[in-house]
Amino acid sequence: MPKCTINGQEVEVKEGATIIEAFKKMSEDIAHYCWHPGLSVAGVCRLCMVDVEGARGPQIACNTVVREGMVITNQSEQIKDIVRWGMDFHLINHPLDCPICDQAGECGLQEQYMKFGKYDPEMGLQKVKKRKVVDLGERVVLDSERCILCSRCVRFTDEVSKTNELGIFNRGDRSEIGTYKDKPLNNKYSLNTVDICPVGALTSKDFRFRQRVWYLKNADTICNGCSTGCSVKTYYNEEGLFRVKPNHNEDVNGYWMCDEGRDLYKFANKESRLLKAKKFDGSTWEEVSAGSAVKSLSHQLLETIKETPSKVAVVYTGQFTNQEYADSLKSFDGLGVNNFYHWMNNQASKDEFDGLLIRGDKNPNTKGLQNEASKFSGLKKLENLFNELESGNIETVFVMAPENISAYPEYESHFKALSKAKNFIWMGANQTSCYESTNSSNTYLIPLKSYVEKSGTFTNHNGTDQNFNYVTTLVAGALTLSEAMTLFEGQDLDFEIRPKIYKTMKNNHFTSDRGEL
Amino acid sequence: MFKLSSEGIDFVKKEIERYETRRSAIIPCLYRVQKENKGWVPPEAVAELSQLMDLPEAWINEILNFYTMFNKEPIGKLHVQVCCNISCCMNGGRELASHLNKEFGVQGNEISKDGNVTITRVECLGSCDTAPMMQVNDNYYENLTPEKAVSVIKELM
Repeated sequence: MPKCTINGQEVEVKEGATIIEAFKKMSEDIAHYCWHPGLSVAGVCRLCMVDVEGARGPQIACNTVVREGMVITNQSEQIKDIVRWGMDFHLINHPLDCPICDQAGECGLQEQYMKFGKYDPEMGLQKVKKRKVVDLGERVVLDSERCILCSRCVRFTDEVSKTNELGIFNRGDRSEIGTYKDKPLNNKYSLNTVDICPVGALTSKDFRFRQRVWYLKNADTICNGCSTGCSVKTYYNEEGLFRVKPNHNEDVNGYWMCDEGRDLYKFANKESRLLKAKKFDGSTWEEVSAGSAVKSLSHQLLETIKETPSKVAVVYTGQFTNQEYADSLKSFDGLGVNNFYHWMNNQASKDEFDGLLIRGDKNPNTKGLQNEASKFSGLKKLENLFNELESGNIETVFVMAPENISAYPEYESHFKALSKAKNFIWMGANQTSCYESTNSSNTYLIPLKSYVEKSGTFTNHNGTDQNFNYVTTLVAGALTLSEAMTLFEGQDLDFEIRPKIYKTMKNNHFTSDRGEL
Repeated sequence: MFKLSSEGIDFVKKEIERYETRRSAIIPCLYRVQKENKGWVPPEAVAELSQLMDLPEAWINEILNFYTMFNKEPIGKLHVQVCCNISCCMNGGRELASHLNKEFGVQGNEISKDGNVTITRVECLGSCDTAPMMQVNDNYYENLTPEKAVSVIKELM
């Protein structure tokens, strides 16, 4: 374990660690574009220059291994001057179109320019014009002019996704990144190239021009797209969620996440949500608030359920938190109900794995549901419930419906089939048109919170419990499963269990937070 | 549409065994394509090589676009490369190039009307002691004067 001194402070690093890793460990600032902790070392941007005592001249920190007793600094005037000139070279052909560039606000070049830049460039020549708005498939747009050829994206497709679509073509100042014949970059991890692009050369089709990043706040949560459970960061403002990016988590997802997971903010936004509870009495629909809907449900059914608990079935999906499972299972168990069914989507492909991150089980918490249910009477297969409904053994059905309906192609058909129950209570986050076609003359639709609106724990595919915190409120009237069950039991909600949303709003947090490089 | 000959395919297969990594064989294989296709590499050859060599298209395209020795557009029967680097330049390399351009009625990298000649200015060909010089297809012609150069080319035509 060699020790070295970084800007006057001693630090011990792993055997074989590079100087830039030592800088990162000390949280010391160091300019860099091409180095990324999740990729190999390229050493092409030449900005991470440091002075090593006794060395012949300045060294690049990303490709120099720390040796015992090295004394390293990047604070000397000489190094600052080198970085300043390095910046100037990067800016020779880079258009300073920051006001119309989507990367502005989270751009590495912009950041370093503000810090080190020579504000008056000494380059008198015309900038080389390159291709703009190159369509690279479903998700990514390329602007060659802005590219500083750090090669992060090329290394990503070579080393991580192993799809090798991107390359650096041509030579000298005509070099540009691209795909052969502009073939689409349609691998399942393509948006990671947008994340790691230090400038605005690669931008996301979904996100570009929708929001300035400095108007967005971000918060950490867990992706609920599959049983991998990647650590992610969601970006949002008062209108809703705008994008999802990966967080570094060595044990689960490294630095990456899949493209599919990045679309999962959409179903949580207001446009696709069930905003109010709905009651159907056989002829008319009535819209009420979620709380009063559950209370009237409680008045109507609680006694019946207590008398004949065997006629009640509860259907679970793997999209809720462990806490919600525990609370609701306990409530039902207390009422004597023991018919718990597991609605498992894509039964056939649930054990698939693509070798990197994507798993076939498109639920974040199947493990958690199984664990919690095993403490009670266990889970039965959903197919059995359809038979029971046909034979009339079950009169009341509670369904804890999934949020991520894109992973549930059978959502509508199951809604129709399950609504054959006499009393039908559908608890879910989403609004779809199939609700109109209910078969039950006593239907309740209860709006639930999505995964960004609650705190809790997901247990991922290998049994790791991952806690996540409340991000923001999108549908104020929605309930968590725990809250709904508390109300159903006839108790009032303790206001304390709701997230304290006002605490963080003392200062205008939507304008204070910038993105990270 | 260009396709490698069966000997060409054999060549590629032998070449990829020859180096430690298959990637190293890209340059000889591209040269082979250029030789078989009248001196230039058509874009579809990248896809063909990629399949033959089991390498990503982007990697082959990177090499093809980087080196000026690979012609990306059709050239004449004789590819005349006139050195315009420092030693040749001092001995009249540029004048030689413009004289040839005028003589054969071509500009830039275009092919002469009879399809015989393409004249390109290139960087150092490593024959500074015999400046000015030019390379016609694979051969060097050295210690040139404009007249001598024209007669060499006309003889080869």
